[in-house]
Amino acid sequence: MNQMQWTRRAFMYASSALGTAAVMGQIPGATAAEGQALKIWANPGVHKVGAKDWSAMEAQAGIKIAATAKSARADEAIQKMVVGDGNKLFDAVTDNGGGMEDALASQRAIVPLDTARIPNWKNIVPHYREGGIAANTLRYEGKVYSTPIISNADSLAYDFKQIGAHPDSWGVMFDSQFKGRVALQNDFGPTLTNMAIYLKESGKIEIGNASDMTPKEVQAVCEFLIDWKKKGQFRTFWDGFQNGVGLLASGEVLVMSCWEPIQIIANRKTGDKADLHYGTMKEGHQTWNNMIMLTKGGRQRGAEELYYKLANVYLSTWFGARTLATLGYQPQMVGVDEYIKANPEDFPTSVQADILDILTRKTARFANKGNAWQNVFPKHIRAYQDWWARLQAA
Amino acid sequence: MSSGAISGPARAGGGRDIPAPAARWRDYLGENGVQKWVFYIPVVFFLLFFAAPMALTVVWSVFERTQFWMEPGFTLFAYDNFFSSARAENYLFSMLHGAASVVIAFAIGFPIAVFIRRRVTRVAQHRVILLFILPFMISELVRVFAMRPVLGRHGIVNSLLMELGVISEPITVILYSPLGVIIGDVMSFLPFMIFAGFLALEAVQNYIFEVCDDLGTGRVRLFTHIILPLAAPGIFAGSVFIFVNSLGVALVPTLLGGPGAVNAGLIANQAIVALDFPLAMAISTIMIVTLVALLYIGHRLFDLTKVLEPIS
Repeated sequence: MNQMQWTRRAFMYASSALGTAAVMGQIPGATAAEGQALKIWANPGVHKVGAKDWSAMEAQAGIKIAATAKSARADEAIQKMVVGDGNKLFDAVTDNGGGMEDALASQRAIVPLDTARIPNWKNIVPHYREGGIAANTLRYEGKVYSTPIISNADSLAYDFKQIGAHPDSWGVMFDSQFKGRVALQNDFGPTLTNMAIYLKESGKIEIGNASDMTPKEVQAVCEFLIDWKKKGQFRTFWDGFQNGVGLLASGEVLVMSCWEPIQIIANRKTGDKADLHYGTMKEGHQTWNNMIMLTKGGRQRGAEELYYKLANVYLSTWFGARTLATLGYQPQMVGVDEYIKANPEDFPTSVQADILDILTRKTARFANKGNAWQNVFPKHIRAYQDWWARLQAA
Repeated sequence: MSSGAISGPARAGGGRDIPAPAARWRDYLGENGVQKWVFYIPVVFFLLFFAAPMALTVVWSVFERTQFWMEPGFTLFAYDNFFSSARAENYLFSMLHGAASVVIAFAIGFPIAVFIRRRVTRVAQHRVILLFILPFMISELVRVFAMRPVLGRHGIVNSLLMELGVISEPITVILYSPLGVIIGDVMSFLPFMIFAGFLALEAVQNYIFEVCDDLGTGRVRLFTHIILPLAAPGIFAGSVFIFVNSLGVALVPTLLGGPGAVNAGLIANQAIVALDFPLAMAISTIMIVTLVALLYIGHRLFDLTKVLEPIS
């Protein structure tokens, strides 16, 4: 949501430097419509698995792609697609699940999908089929409107060398021995949701839905944070991918709630100076996903088939394995572990164990009962905004 | 006829004056033609790109918020929300930080301007002043970001002081704190004070300094009674630039501020990303009113028309 998405853009640009595997063969039977390119408005890094250009994705999908770089700001996407010229310009658009699909579908900016036309849909991770909130992140009024690309369960990073333990609770952020060495994300969405999960699951505050709190619940969570802020527990609230990496890598903070790629890159930067890990919290995590949607304009222009071909790539183990290995994101399909083992030329045996270990921990993190899915537009968003301002002013 | 095209309108048939092409063009481009209207271009530009957006900002601030946009109406809810929430407090803090940055920038920048004006040879003055443009050639993001390895816990300042034995523990108050924001603002916007101060002093004729020297005016008296009053409009102009940037540029509190540090620009930005457009417009309107009030006070005190008026 909002700043988180805005700042994630910086990461998406940065991640293009990570590189990815070489162009692979085309999917049998998938051929691009003659001369027509799929015009997509997408995050420029993650959604082409960190590659420098879209050629590998084009080869996989068997289509031409004309991509326009997009930030992940909800306001920008809404304005462009609902009141702007987004439908004239783009056939497909990427954004966050758990709100944006509802917003765009309710305004008739995107159209429902026929998942039967996406062969890899059968491999989608089970929680998208089983109903409940995860399934809802792709649906509006029961119809599927989007195809998931990546997801993750946000947690905290810590320096094992300095802390000397592997924390398994968000409570470590409020341990007085780390006073002034803790940082939170400067975004009320993920920060308040994760803190609500902690306070709810540890029995400190009674909260119904951690990702859609009532104004009183928002107040209680923010008052808890204000109290700790006044005690000097927090060094800062980070904003932006590089900012987060810098904070961790410089040793300025020892514990920080953040996106997983921040910990991965910061750990690479620090070398032996620090030993940065990404924890699994027993209370749970905010889970989120990115997805791709077919616009009304795209369907009118006959770009449906092109969309389905690209969506099929996003649900392929080819994409899932690479996004896991290079960016640390959760694949959206089953069978990635087998794919990695079966392709040692792309995933050498020396690194296979590490990648599969990340996948195992990630899967365990997703299975936590205390998790709450990201909600881009909580019902009482004004309460979130107002109390966040109070936290800032405290 | 042959010369009519150059010297004046041609006469044909029944004696009626018909302008030759060149003469006609001259009329079009003359004082009663395009030249007459060309002076209105700045006015049109101002109306289109300054007055109209500002007017729209004010109008939108009283619109009704909808789920994703806003609709015409009249409500002061956004203003009520601003003043009854912590945003007003954040805004005031932002103004305080801006004021502190102005004072520090004046204390550092104006003496530099005086030094350049009085001690550097006339020929070299503009070259020296141009040196202060160099930092502006680097992205502001990079400039502000680069302060973190300098001011951080393990940064250059702390490492040096610890190496020298001046401190035993890192000083943490200079980064990720209100002081960090002020340091960032001063470092980012100091050239505004130097430029404005220098320009103001450039209008002060040398003989004024010479007369003061002849009369044995002390340095303090020279500064407080001569230099400062003459340069006041320029100093004020530089101060406004710094204050406005401090209030509006979100980068500095984002990168150097403490937990949740904001300025007015960031408050408005946060309202926009939460799709609360009327609130963002209300905050922008409040910023406009603040700055107009500031300019009015400045004009009453210092007569800002003197900023660009050379002393004759």
